[in-house]
Amino acid sequence: MKRDDFKFPLHVIVHPFDGFWDMKYEQKGRLRVAMIILFLLVVAMILQKQFAGFLVNFNDPRRLNSISELVFVLFPFLLWSIANWSVTTLMGGEGRFKDIVMATSYALVPMVLIYPPMTLVSRFMVQEETSFYYLLNTVAVLWFLGLLFVGIMTVHQFTPAKTVLTCVLTVIVMGIIVFLGTLIFSMLQQIYDFLLNIYRELIFRV
Amino acid sequence: MTAKKWIICAAAISLILTSVMPGASSRASAAPESTATASTPAVPIIGSSAQAPYESYNYNFWEEATPMPAAYLPERYITGRELGVGDFLEPADMHISKSGTVYVLDTGNQRIVQFREDGTEVKVISSFNNEGTEDGFSNPSGIFTDHEEQIYVADTGNKRIVILSPGGELVRIIQNPQSDVLPAGFQFQPLKVTVDEAKRVFVVANGVYEGIMQFDEKGTFIGYVGTIKVKRNYVDYFWRLVSTKAQRAQMALFVPTEFSNQDIDHKGFVYATNIDVGSKEPIKRLNPSGEDVLKRYGYYDVSGDIYYRRTTGPSKFVDIKVLGDGMYSALDSTQGRVFTYDESGNLLYIFGGLGNQLGMFKTPVAVEHIGERQLVLDRGKGNIVVFVPTEFGSNVNRAVRLHYQGEDTEAEDYWNRVLELNSNYDIAYTGIGKAKLMRKENKEALAYFKLGMDRKNYSVAYKRYRREVMKEHFGTVLTLLLAAAAAFVVYKAARHWKQRRESGHEAG
Repeated sequence: MKRDDFKFPLHVIVHPFDGFWDMKYEQKGRLRVAMIILFLLVVAMILQKQFAGFLVNFNDPRRLNSISELVFVLFPFLLWSIANWSVTTLMGGEGRFKDIVMATSYALVPMVLIYPPMTLVSRFMVQEETSFYYLLNTVAVLWFLGLLFVGIMTVHQFTPAKTVLTCVLTVIVMGIIVFLGTLIFSMLQQIYDFLLNIYRELIFRV
Repeated sequence: MTAKKWIICAAAISLILTSVMPGASSRASAAPESTATASTPAVPIIGSSAQAPYESYNYNFWEEATPMPAAYLPERYITGRELGVGDFLEPADMHISKSGTVYVLDTGNQRIVQFREDGTEVKVISSFNNEGTEDGFSNPSGIFTDHEEQIYVADTGNKRIVILSPGGELVRIIQNPQSDVLPAGFQFQPLKVTVDEAKRVFVVANGVYEGIMQFDEKGTFIGYVGTIKVKRNYVDYFWRLVSTKAQRAQMALFVPTEFSNQDIDHKGFVYATNIDVGSKEPIKRLNPSGEDVLKRYGYYDVSGDIYYRRTTGPSKFVDIKVLGDGMYSALDSTQGRVFTYDESGNLLYIFGGLGNQLGMFKTPVAVEHIGERQLVLDRGKGNIVVFVPTEFGSNVNRAVRLHYQGEDTEAEDYWNRVLELNSNYDIAYTGIGKAKLMRKENKEALAYFKLGMDRKNYSVAYKRYRREVMKEHFGTVLTLLLAAAAAFVVYKAARHWKQRRESGHEAG
């Protein structure tokens, strides 16, 4: 782990245009750093669900599941990356799959940075102060969306208008992927049932 | 070989039996009033042998129906035959006056039966002297008494309200109301009647959608109170937009539903129930100007069952009774259950059900109370069921009443007893928390509010606790900060001095 691995993501979130350019064209982005950011986000989310103050924590502690938190982060992330790659490849984007993964992951850094301290501070808040908690969490999400936008734009060398279009298309493609996934899953299940029935039929008859 | 099979069989059966039995026995002991040491005087308590014929439950913060010890248990029936006046036939309403006399409106027999709860002083009023002629009731459906024990009967079939003296003589008749707001040819069919301290008469009438009709003490129609707002549903609106004229004519009209019943508290606030389909506010508390001021600070809506089968439908309240100290009971005809709420809209307990056993109803129509006992009139069975609070129920009642009266410290003892009997009773934790907050035991209050999932009070307690801690440690923190600052200044000065000396050496 080099020192730059820590410093570069922090540079990206405050200088997104330069940062994402350097990430792709100066080979400053690291896939392992991207993975670490993802992992930290999962940890931050789990910590928030478990340890956020009573006044802002509306989770049922009996139904808390770290695995589902992991899935909740990883699944949309992969879905977004794959969908975005599929769309931008067709639309002449310059970014490789690796670039998309890195851009998305580096964009998540504000959430990783803001969530844990807010979780801690929320434990010392009273009702009137909880608006700051929600405000800062919203800032983190908006920051992430802004970075994601710039990241995708820079990585693919798109115009802003085209970036908006690809983002909308990506969301639609995400829906299609989920639909196809469900379809395939249910068909596989039916095929399995069919084969099982044939097997049973054979067992009973022969 | 067969012998071996038999042995295995027997072993399996015994295994199943042993695993089932403890479960069954523990379930039995978990039910009501099992074994409790603390006892409350003055309130009759049912022995531990009694079992509730209905499922006893309540909803917790997470809106799950959780088992709970029974708060009320059926004690006995009161029937017309037992009183010596013959069976009740389709009785429609019941009222208990301030002095404790029970009035049953025996609609099928067109009479009023009045008696003390112990079955004495039975009296029947089936006719009265109306300006020289003998007059009676026709299909009456509502009865009420005011503080002077005058009897008000909603005589639906005769389209009038009959007011009788305690002795059964006619005092006044309210009929044929006249007003500009009433449509021409208006048919006055009173269903339920309530009277306030000033002898204003509130009437729920058949086919009146404008609200509750209000009459002054002389019987003049004043106006409506508690108009139910018609809420337009956007989905319905859309369908009306796209449908043809003929289709639109086929659709149901958007009319507000009628009120189904009412009661009045000592402050003159009318508690009214309506049977509006899909309404989140089937219970209203109307102030004198007709606005709904019911407090709904509980975990969920004041609307009876939160979960119900689609085929059964939501709770449909047919009667409401003010129990005093902010508490009120509402009778649901769908499942035959009585829901008792406290002043803030917390669901305290649920009892009753549909069925044939004692404590279950066929068609419950009215709920009343004598002291802590609650009585339910069953129209279908033609009898009254007397419910007696269990130890759990009476502790809850006492705690709620004391809290309402502002005696939180005394309420705390009862809440503690409640928790001994049911440690899942969220409201009790909040109650104790409030008492602790009053006594400025902020840290302890925090823990209780957290258990009771009361975020609002938790915040208040936390604010105080935080200030307390800050005050306590302010001196220490400030000293440390000052010391750190001083150390920093000294360090800086020393470094500066050292550097200057070194540079001075170099220069020199």
